[in-house]
Amino acid sequence: MLLTYNKKRNHRIRQNILRGVYEDNLKIIGKGPEVIYKHRYYVPKRFLLPVVLSFLVIVLQSNFASAPFLPEKQPVSGPRSMPVLALNADESEGPSHYKAFISTPGMPISRIFGLGVRTIMIDPGHGGNDTGTKGQNGTKEKDIALDIAKRLRDRLKKSGNFNILMTRDQDVTVPLNRRVEMAKLSRADLFISVHLNYLPSRPINMIETYYFGPSSDPKVLKLAEKENADSSYSISDFKDIIGKIGETMKLQESKEFAASIQKKLFMNSRKENGNVYNFGVKRAPFVVLLGVDVPAVLAEVSCLSNSEEEVQLNTEQHREHIARYLELGILDYLNKGDVTYEARRQTDR
Amino acid sequence: MKQDDRQTDENILFVGIDLGTSRSSISASNSTREWTESYVGWPKDFIAMQVVGKPVLFGAEALANRLSLDLCRPLEHGVIKEGISRNEEAVKDIIKHLIELAKPAEGQKIHAVVGVPADTLKVNKLAIRRAVSEAVDSLMVVTEPFAVAYGLNLLNNSLVIDIGAGTTDFCIMHGTIPTEDDQKTILTAGDYVDDQLFSYLVEKYPSARFNKNMVRQFKEQYSFVKDMAEDIQVEIPVNGKLVPHDIKNEIKRACESIMPALTETTIEMIARFDPEFQIKIKNHIVLAGGGSLIRGIREYLQDALKEYGQCNVTCVEDPLFAGSDGALKLAKDMPAKYWEPL
Ligand SMILES: Nc1ncnc2c1ncn2[C@@H]1O[C@H](COP(=O)(O)OP(=O)(O)OP(=O)(O)O)[C@@H](O)[C@H]1O
Ligand SMILES: [Mg+2]
Ligand SMILES: [Zn+2]
Repeated sequence: MLLTYNKKRNHRIRQNILRGVYEDNLKIIGKGPEVIYKHRYYVPKRFLLPVVLSFLVIVLQSNFASAPFLPEKQPVSGPRSMPVLALNADESEGPSHYKAFISTPGMPISRIFGLGVRTIMIDPGHGGNDTGTKGQNGTKEKDIALDIAKRLRDRLKKSGNFNILMTRDQDVTVPLNRRVEMAKLSRADLFISVHLNYLPSRPINMIETYYFGPSSDPKVLKLAEKENADSSYSISDFKDIIGKIGETMKLQESKEFAASIQKKLFMNSRKENGNVYNFGVKRAPFVVLLGVDVPAVLAEVSCLSNSEEEVQLNTEQHREHIARYLELGILDYLNKGDVTYEARRQTDR
Repeated sequence: MKQDDRQTDENILFVGIDLGTSRSSISASNSTREWTESYVGWPKDFIAMQVVGKPVLFGAEALANRLSLDLCRPLEHGVIKEGISRNEEAVKDIIKHLIELAKPAEGQKIHAVVGVPADTLKVNKLAIRRAVSEAVDSLMVVTEPFAVAYGLNLLNNSLVIDIGAGTTDFCIMHGTIPTEDDQKTILTAGDYVDDQLFSYLVEKYPSARFNKNMVRQFKEQYSFVKDMAEDIQVEIPVNGKLVPHDIKNEIKRACESIMPALTETTIEMIARFDPEFQIKIKNHIVLAGGGSLIRGIREYLQDALKEYGQCNVTCVEDPLFAGSDGALKLAKDMPAKYWEPL
């Protein structure tokens, strides 16, 4: 009796596993099992859920286009953020707290990394099931982020000095903790995560760059909670690590790195579009930044709630520009503390 | 599995391939089993081509001719690296080579299950599929420790630990295909032991001449943890003469250097489950991969885990082929209808 029971059970498990392997591979090549099963099998319930959900998203988004279902972030909506906004946007050569970052004599990068930065990991936000935010015309954050990331990769590769890795180079779901592990495993020296913003309250275009650190701003925390949602770290792990982090060298370096990215992105974007706002460099407890041991930033390179900007993002030229500004930001950071570079830059002007 | 669900067509050769960082192996339904070191070399130029006499070399032969070749170890570090375009080509060549070694009959179709290190799959599933699919008619990709588990019929309540060269992969089986959460990779594995041993030996015998290859051979011949009665002496050239050197203590230290991370990760993997399931897993811990050949490693781990309650650790019988045999079993068990779209 027991034996046949076990045999049957084993048989069922085995079949289940074989189907799992099959479905996994279908997913890799981008075929959903629901398509394959349509005629021969019932559609298992767990495949229905995402379908229903995405349907809901579409319906809700078309009805309440200005208040999207699951908006990715709303850190600076409401009047309280106005003063910051005005202050930063008024400064033409970069706001004052950048100056503070930039003028602190940067630690030479070569000393931190021994032989210098060789491997840069680019992390296009979201992907696969996780669309990220979405513009009113349906432009998806995951797609734009990936395209810009690829362009950035190609640009950096051309310079020949770096080994470039991506956490994803296709439209696939990659949980945050996997991205972190990838950065660790591949021994990346720098990590940059590319995202797009969405401000439900106001249709403006804005740029901001984050590095990892504790934050007391409830809006930033809310944003972080959303961006961290699929990380599989528990809250307690998380608090623990935040407590320990302190003003480490990584933190300092990430701050510098964020400053360079934000500076180059904003200054150059503004030349194209006078209506872009500078939200500056911020700290936020993003898992993807925390887990990475090397200087890491998360750049919100543009904003999908601004419909004009959404149109622009659909042009290759604009995406290429953003990639170039990110490249400039990276080079700026890497060259800080390099005296010859500073000298060259002075004479270039 | 119902018999009629399976592929019985004689025109199909089923193969299981284990694509490792250091070694890759193939097991086929025609009973061939072969392996090669995961190195690929292409002649650097026309003259080199004349010297080596073929367009691509593999494994030991590639290493022996390294000066004439562009050498590539494609899965090193577990990532098909962006920007090093030949990696994908190298994977293609290794697969083609392995399939040739399996000697498919004229006109036979090839249905392959390929096991790759868990992290490689995580990072670049499509790239792996792209690299492999050219050489086969239908293909499924799985993680290496999962293939090992399936092959040993450890479908439920077990933990497989695959101690390879570049990585040690952990995989919990609980009756379904393992998700990313059920798997974990750490970087302390065979290569790490080699590095440790090399530095210990250089320190102890500054005048002797070592190289990494020699050191790996010492390890593979004498590896052990805990205690062992026999002496370990090797002959190493000093000023051109072969002189015996005692390396027992260094071997022990180097092999034991991977144990803390191994133990800790094992505990961490198990601790995530509810107590009842923990007990079951603890009694089915299986060591695989070349590192499981370290003498005493099974007892070491079992002892280290003792304080967490009763447990049972075993080693697979044939670590070199456990991955490809498991992949082959998957391929043979796979219902025919599943092969069609892949
Ligand atoms: N007797 C032995 N004692 C200790 N280590 C050994 C022994 N035999 C082989 N090894 C080591 O095992 C490693 C290779 O194992 P294996 O073939 O499982 O790795 P792999 O699958 O290529 O690597 P990975 O799983 O990281 O991709 C090498 O580091 C090798 O030196
Ligand atoms: Mg292996
Ligand atoms: Zn985002």
